[in-house]
Amino acid sequence: MSIRKCALQDPSFTKLYEVYKDRDAAARAVKTAGGKVLAKLGSDVPDELVLAAGLFPVQVYADPAKKLVYTDQILEFAFDPVVRKQFEKLVDGTYKELADFLAVSNSTDVLIRVFLYLREILRSMPEQPVPPTTFIDMLFTRNRMHQERNELIFSLFRKQLEDWTGRTITDEDIKAAAAVCNANRAALRRIGELRHGEEVRINGTEALVIIGSGFFMDKKEHTALVEKIADAAANWPVITGKRVFLTGSNQEDLTVYSMIEEAGGVVIAEDHDWGDRSYERDFNMDYPVIRAIVDRYMLRSYSSKKAVVSQRIEALDAEVAAAKADAVIFYTNIYEDSASWDYPGQKKSLDAKGIPNACFAKMQYPAKANEGLAEKIAQFIKG
Amino acid sequence: MEEVKKEMPKASPSGTVKKLRATAEASAYQKQWFQGLKARVEAGEDFAYLNADVPMEVLAAMDIPFVVNQWWAAICGAKRMTKKYFGLLRDAGYRDDLCSYCATALAESLDPDDHAYDEEGKPLGPWGGLPDPTIAITRLTCDCQGKIFELFAKNHGADYYAIENTQARTFPLNWWDYATYDWEKLYDKDRLDAAVEELKELIRYLEMKTGKMFDINRLQKVMDNINRQETWYGKIRDLIAECDKAPVTVVDTINAVMPAQWQRGSEWAADHAERLYYEIKELADKGEAAVPNEKYRLMWLGRGLWHDFAFYQNFEKKYGAAFVWSMYLAMGADAYRRYNVEADPLRALAARYIGMEDFLHMTPWNAQWYLQQARQNGIDGVVYMVPENCMQAVEGSFFIKKTLEDAGIPVLAFNADPVDARKWNRDTMTGLVEEFIENRVMKKEK
Repeated sequence: MSIRKCALQDPSFTKLYEVYKDRDAAARAVKTAGGKVLAKLGSDVPDELVLAAGLFPVQVYADPAKKLVYTDQILEFAFDPVVRKQFEKLVDGTYKELADFLAVSNSTDVLIRVFLYLREILRSMPEQPVPPTTFIDMLFTRNRMHQERNELIFSLFRKQLEDWTGRTITDEDIKAAAAVCNANRAALRRIGELRHGEEVRINGTEALVIIGSGFFMDKKEHTALVEKIADAAANWPVITGKRVFLTGSNQEDLTVYSMIEEAGGVVIAEDHDWGDRSYERDFNMDYPVIRAIVDRYMLRSYSSKKAVVSQRIEALDAEVAAAKADAVIFYTNIYEDSASWDYPGQKKSLDAKGIPNACFAKMQYPAKANEGLAEKIAQFIKG
Repeated sequence: MEEVKKEMPKASPSGTVKKLRATAEASAYQKQWFQGLKARVEAGEDFAYLNADVPMEVLAAMDIPFVVNQWWAAICGAKRMTKKYFGLLRDAGYRDDLCSYCATALAESLDPDDHAYDEEGKPLGPWGGLPDPTIAITRLTCDCQGKIFELFAKNHGADYYAIENTQARTFPLNWWDYATYDWEKLYDKDRLDAAVEELKELIRYLEMKTGKMFDINRLQKVMDNINRQETWYGKIRDLIAECDKAPVTVVDTINAVMPAQWQRGSEWAADHAERLYYEIKELADKGEAAVPNEKYRLMWLGRGLWHDFAFYQNFEKKYGAAFVWSMYLAMGADAYRRYNVEADPLRALAARYIGMEDFLHMTPWNAQWYLQQARQNGIDGVVYMVPENCMQAVEGSFFIKKTLEDAGIPVLAFNADPVDARKWNRDTMTGLVEEFIENRVMKKEK
């Protein structure tokens, strides 16, 4: 079981699957039609502001087949393999061609370094085809001082977008864009309910397609298609199998989920940014616009990168309980190390609750490069 | 503090030849200071454990005893405790191949023998072990930092306190020309404002925790002492650069400077820096060279090789190659001084502590400074240790190497670990450096 026949026969799902597989098509069409594209690196670049600026946002993603011509010269070993593949596309001209601008958020410390390197390339190696780049230096430690600082940071991003596009972004523009984003998140939550409920109607592989396609297409169109899928999927066959929660590295492709689901499990929830976490928490229309953006991006569930161990233990326990998971899989790519510090405490807490768990750390990328991984996952699922 | 027992220069067990009285004095002082600190903690005083980039000046001004993480990791490394400690981490379910510099003390906190003694009455922990801190403070300069410090704090029953880290939007390349006097121009105004707010929050927390009042006049005194201390380091750096043959090498300077740098703000540290200067000047005036056959000057980039200091001296006799430069002396000289303190000591302090991460780990600031320093010190070759498992120390090694080599200065970059001797093979590394000297440095005529 990966993507099931019922999904593949659904025209809305099929459309999203096409987008998921050909991720640059919509951006290319926007460019051809004279529109402007902004590439986003990191999970905290606010679509609300990008859309309000009249730009088409696309997420930067890794191409596993890409040879690392520049990256292996420029990046140290400590950069994880997904970021390495993303970086290659940022410096080899791929995104210079696809996008007009690049915004990097400090969703992880690795991306701070990536931004500093790109900035230095733009300064000292101007022949390298890197798009104009900005950085969103938001802070994640939760207190008044940093919440206030983040208002300035997002205001600076708003100003940068205005400078780039030559247009004023009004509060009304932002609210209108936020309404589009909130509607999208609401639609995705309906998908979430069909995964987390007593009866599972959408598996994790299908969910990755539904969620991830939204990173590369028009948001209103995505929302409409997701709503249709949610309507249809309520009648898709119920999926039985071990309910698995996946925590750890972003899953930009379907490989790991397919391995879990081919083995008889079903990924009913996750805490990475290509899954459930991407549509958590709305833009609050009652707040001043910048404050609402701070609220949305600062106060989502604790990410594995920007939270301390106690927060991550608490977050995982809560999410696993909410999703009624039978088991938890920890999956982290090699050199994506920060979650390793959370793991022993998280495991201890899960063990105390009797929730089986397995850890796959220091994984090679792409996932299929890990010899015997599918078998090890199957052993856990069936165990 | 009682008078420090006089110690004469001597060879360390690892074979490192330490030349200076000031090094021996610093070594003796820090042991004595540490025993005094332990006594204060045992008497019930709050005790803070800090990461190196935390503004320790606040704690110095408040007379709160503290130990700096990197200094302590170096002590543990020098005492060859790493293997044991990282075994303890592994046994507790953690990975043993991560964050060696920052996680050493966390690993130590798992050691049941840290405060125990062997049958002969010798302490099993380094210097009798780390007393239990009541406060653990770090800056969030990488994703692992907060996690490690929180775990460390929990193991000791201490409070965990985090200070955020922000990025520079403006970055004048010649930062060292601004840092001492025109530091306000060095940073985005809002960034400096935010750093001052961080300090105020920290101070309020420390006041509530310890019951001690923060006195701005005491901070000014601390800042003045630091300026005095770092000015001597500047004079030492310039003196070494100007000498035909260097009177001292990094083995002397790192060991003399770092113990005092972690005591910065104290009268002792400032006085020690002065004594160090005059001791080195005396050598220079007498024409004494650390490496009499000095032919090539090498620069060491990266953290100190705490577990094998003798490595630096391996190339002196054979090639006349002397490691004369490391960041440990020069950072003090260029990055730590802040004058015009009187108007707002907190702002001056903010302008110091936010720069530490920028100067060392942010390209292009680090690369440009290394180039300027290489030129000032007549460097013939650069040996650059790039930590292999540490995102915090990821600092644009490509740009550093490119900047130096574009200027005609050869660079040997290799991956190693500053405290984990398990990952170090001296023979292999010696071979690498010898090959570098023979093929890159010697072929580049002075």
